[in-house]
Amino acid sequence: MDVGLALAILGAAVATFMAGIGSAVGIGIAGQTGAGVVSEDPDKFGLTVVLTALPGTQGIYGLIMGFLILFRVGVIGAEPMDLTIPQGLSMLFAGLPIGFVGWMSAIYQGKAVASGIQLIAKRPEEFGKAMIYGVMVETYAVFALLMSLIIYLFAPL
Amino acid sequence: MNEQYAHAVGRVRAKEPKLLDNAKIDRMAEARNAEEVLKVLGETEYSEYLASLPGIHDFDKILDQELHRVYREMRQLAPELVSIFARKFDYHNLKVLFKSQKLGEKRDDLLVRDIGNIPVDELARAVNEDDYSKLPLRMRQAGRQMSELFRLNPDPQMTDMLLEQAMYAETAESLEELASPMLKEYFTILIDLLNIKTYLRVKRANRSKEFLEQALLPGGELEVFRLVQLVEPLEVLIDRLLYSRYAKVVEEGVQTYQKTDSLTRFEKLADNFLLKQIKQAKYLTVGPEPLAGYLLAKENELKLIRIIMVGKINRLPTEEIKERLRDVYV
Repeated sequence: MDVGLALAILGAAVATFMAGIGSAVGIGIAGQTGAGVVSEDPDKFGLTVVLTALPGTQGIYGLIMGFLILFRVGVIGAEPMDLTIPQGLSMLFAGLPIGFVGWMSAIYQGKAVASGIQLIAKRPEEFGKAMIYGVMVETYAVFALLMSLIIYLFAPL
Repeated sequence: MNEQYAHAVGRVRAKEPKLLDNAKIDRMAEARNAEEVLKVLGETEYSEYLASLPGIHDFDKILDQELHRVYREMRQLAPELVSIFARKFDYHNLKVLFKSQKLGEKRDDLLVRDIGNIPVDELARAVNEDDYSKLPLRMRQAGRQMSELFRLNPDPQMTDMLLEQAMYAETAESLEELASPMLKEYFTILIDLLNIKTYLRVKRANRSKEFLEQALLPGGELEVFRLVQLVEPLEVLIDRLLYSRYAKVVEEGVQTYQKTDSLTRFEKLADNFLLKQIKQAKYLTVGPEPLAGYLLAKENELKLIRIIMVGKINRLPTEEIKERLRDVYV
């Protein structure tokens, strides 16, 4: 196996583990607050769990990106390709946007939804608004995924 | 950011809607008699205590049970934060025990049990054996000092002052550790307002300058001692504080005090000012502040219920009771 292929695999790894860490931290924060609310008012479980799950999407995006990269370079499902270093690097770069943005945005989204959970603890009828604040952070994770996909699809191999 | 409080803040947010709001407090204040006040309380989270209540004159039991519940629950959530607010019970107990031992009258009814940081038995042992070595540093120092001073000059007021000084010194140290600007600010305001009140009291009692200097608490923002002399009229105090944040409290409070010779109004304004400060915690979503906010909101609520119940039992007119009520947190 040459360096080019190793770099592409690194790209898949970075996309998955960074976005995954972010999601884990974000859900962790939201989950603590959610559990706090539910311990006082168990009926709110349904509402809190939807908000708590929001920061989980970044980890999924990272995982998808990782799989796509591994497919394209043939690590899964075919013969591993011979990649030059620039080719390998471009696959690594495809993993970076969702890796980094997924990492940070999931943590901040966790904080935003933790606040949203506090909001519905007091006013459950405002669930939709609490959701919107969380979804606004999501936008940037989606943008990052989009850029990762564009690099992945259009970078010449 | 303080993620360690994420769970606790969620808990507190779910508890906040159960706090008594203005409408409930108004209904209680407007109730025809004490029984009717309890009926309103029966619609709230206090209802669980009402069944075992022997009579309206034991309403203190309800408040006591609720205070214990709140401190017990909050201590599980944030022990280091609650220990700051529970410290007043320790110092109170030490004061009661010390005085009852020195003056020879048993006042066990005044002790606050199971809610402070230090067990009452531990404090009683320290006082009885005159051995303060096992108590926290500030308390130990104050204990030794007051026991020594009491031998020379048995002045209970000296005990009060020494303990109060020690308590706020210890609080300042814990606040350094907690690193919450909002709570630090809260205690700064609390100390300032206490110092203004001390000034008014010392002035009325015609005590010496030296006495005032000893009685004032360190750690505030105002230097009351530098600000105004004891011999100067009260207008000077109002004037000097005209451009401070305490202007409104001092102006109205001190003017009423001059007219009526009562500090009730000043105390109410001071309480409302502090409550306004702590209300900021409602807009914070992380950190220890929302927890402190809930704790202080509960203490305020218990104070309001006590004012209403005492008023109703003594058949005060509704207007007079309302006059004494403070704002609410929610």
